[in-house]
Amino acid sequence: MSTPPDAEIQALLRDLWERHLPSLVERIGVLERTAGEAALGAIPEESRAEAQSVAHKLAGNLGMFGHHQAGEIASRIEQTLKAPTPETLAELVPAVASLRQCLDGHL
Amino acid sequence: MRRVLIIDDEDDIREVAALSLEATAGWKTITASSGAEGIQIALAEHPDAILMDVMMPGVDGPTTFRTMQATPAIAGIPVLLLTAKVQGVDKRRFADLGVAGILFKPFDPLTLAEQIAEALRWKDGAPSLSH
Repeated sequence: MSTPPDAEIQALLRDLWERHLPSLVERIGVLERTAGEAALGAIPEESRAEAQSVAHKLAGNLGMFGHHQAGEIASRIEQTLKAPTPETLAELVPAVASLRQCLDGHL
Repeated sequence: MRRVLIIDDEDDIREVAALSLEATAGWKTITASSGAEGIQIALAEHPDAILMDVMMPGVDGPTTFRTMQATPAIAGIPVLLLTAKVQGVDKRRFADLGVAGILFKPFDPLTLAEQIAEALRWKDGAPSLSH
């Protein structure tokens, strides 16, 4: 089998990105909701666990689609959510905003 | 033609990995969304290698690997674990399991097949391992 040129593979990846966009947007929404709770001073455990799982998934797949910086931000958010403190929770709102900004134009 | 079983609970990871291996290397891929499904498919299909996520709901990758190792019919199939974790303690823990290799997410779809071939010491043109 001949190897398709990189451009062809990139086009196929863009198709996959488009197809999975709704779940991606939903995941970012989960992080934004959790960041909103953090801004009020505390995150319920259920929200924290869900958001950590979502951030883990984003950290694993955003880079796969070429969004490396966004993936790194998601990884930092995951680390923050593993064992949040009042100090690190304060970083959650700007981090999630950075993630959204990083993907601006691709969502 | 080499056949690789991809086990991951996330649709997008499975699809990108399958696209990557098929488009860049011409390998055939089979996918499963859980460890239990992966074991059933491995028993039925005997792929040349298995690429499996570590963190999956229910039965995780390491537990699935141990079950495979205890199942003679598929114990010889090389397994590569796919993980986003990069801490040294995890790498050591996974290596101690006896897996054929550890690959990290996010992977580059353009080079994933090369990484797998390198980890398994597959050479271009070499016959498929199981056939």
